[in-house]
Amino acid sequence: MKKRRPISRPPLIIFVGAIFGVIYIFLPLVGLLRKISFISLLSQLSDGPTLSALRLSLVTSVAATLLALILGLPLAWVLARVSFRGSYLVRAFVMLPMVLPPVVGGVALLAAYGKSSGLVGALLFDSFGVQLTFSPIGVVIAEAFVALPFLVMAVEGGLRAIDSRYEELASTMGANEITKFYRVTLRLLRPSLIAGIAVAWARALGEFGATITFAGNIQGRTQTTPLAVYLLLESDPQAAYSLSFVLLIVCVLVLISMRDRWLGSKR
Amino acid sequence: MQVLKPLIAVGISVVVSLFVVNRGETVNQLGAPEKVLQGTITVSAASSLSDSFAEIAKVFHREYPKVKVRFNFGSSSSLVAQIKSGAPSDVIASADLLSIETLIKSGEVARTSYPKILAHNQMAIAVKPGNPLKIKTVSDLKKAKFLSLCGSTVPCGQYGATVLKLARLNLDESKITRAVDAKSALNAVSVGDADAAIVYLTDVLSAKKLVTLVKIPKAFNVEAVYGVALLGKSSNRDAAAAFIDYLLSVKGQRLLQSFGFIKI
Repeated sequence: MKKRRPISRPPLIIFVGAIFGVIYIFLPLVGLLRKISFISLLSQLSDGPTLSALRLSLVTSVAATLLALILGLPLAWVLARVSFRGSYLVRAFVMLPMVLPPVVGGVALLAAYGKSSGLVGALLFDSFGVQLTFSPIGVVIAEAFVALPFLVMAVEGGLRAIDSRYEELASTMGANEITKFYRVTLRLLRPSLIAGIAVAWARALGEFGATITFAGNIQGRTQTTPLAVYLLLESDPQAAYSLSFVLLIVCVLVLISMRDRWLGSKR
Repeated sequence: MQVLKPLIAVGISVVVSLFVVNRGETVNQLGAPEKVLQGTITVSAASSLSDSFAEIAKVFHREYPKVKVRFNFGSSSSLVAQIKSGAPSDVIASADLLSIETLIKSGEVARTSYPKILAHNQMAIAVKPGNPLKIKTVSDLKKAKFLSLCGSTVPCGQYGATVLKLARLNLDESKITRAVDAKSALNAVSVGDADAAIVYLTDVLSAKKLVTLVKIPKAFNVEAVYGVALLGKSSNRDAAAAFIDYLLSVKGQRLLQSFGFIKI
């Protein structure tokens, strides 16, 4: 953790700017809270399609986070520890889904894993009859695609911050690479790893564009909570607000639980 | 610095264009005794009108070079929601009359002479190129593993539901993927993995290279009536009314028909 020098009196203009920044973010949230009728909240959330959207979101976002972890951990390790030519290029590509419009990400996923024209997807379907699009697995793929960079970024940062002397020490004491990674690196990495998992999960939970483009919007099958919110806005705005509120609360809880590890504690 | 350069360029061009627009207006106010139509109008239009309106805007611009037409495409019901919540818009062109009725009720439409009927459209089935599942009519849609429809509150979703109902086809919801508007419902077939979609005939015609058209027999089809209206909050009513008149003129109607819309 970096040490911060506290500034006792900030310049007025910075202070005013900061206040406007807070208001800018806060106002839409307050607006949303005003729209919610707390009395009917429970009945709206226990409605069939809404409940199945929540359940699907929970399952797929957890699975997507796991997938991002399995792929992202080694990736972050390589990016942080191995110096090779073009590593900056690899990093740029890995970060791409973060800045790419999600719908474009969805189209790209179709070009790779789609049944009819995907590079791998056509092969999968023709030889094994496996169709990823319009399936919950498709949702997981779309969510993991956009969540992966967040995990990689957090973990890579964490790995770079670890004092390598601990690991060297473990080596001199006879630990092999795997033991060293497991017993030393992973332990030191824990705070950034948890932070990475949390943001990756929150991002997967909120995914919309790539999901609807790649996995479609099938009630009970691929219709996640953000997709349900969008469709409900026209047919049943109250239910849409209630669902948005649930997503909001979940994300706030994630961030609060991260306050020491990620939001910059004063240690 | 490299990042800043384009930003600066954009900034400068915005400032310059503001200046040019302002100057143009004063010159006209002084020079022309009769009113020359000018300024920008925003037209909120159903996504199924996007191809035809883009073409009409080009021709319209030739007749009224000082009027700039900006489009906001989306599902008719989302356009209604946007206008109700105060989105600046001069004209609405929707894929049904009901959407405009809703706006009339909430007092958003300018005069009682609106809505005017813009065009008629039909529904059609879009399938993968070459029609691999050999879908010949509506009842064959049960062969499709995944069918793409518009959201059930959007006009094209309601028309699609009517088609299925008329053909007495009861499909399981687990086979139906719901798109946000007509264009994206078709995209699920042309770009995505859906086997078929029920969308507007005009949309299928304009995506001819990407999908194959399967016509829906008259007995199962619906007539989609498109409406257009001038909005009360329009800040440029004259130009907006001119655009609506142009849509309804012989030239405008002929252009719409060239995209597959049916004569009113």
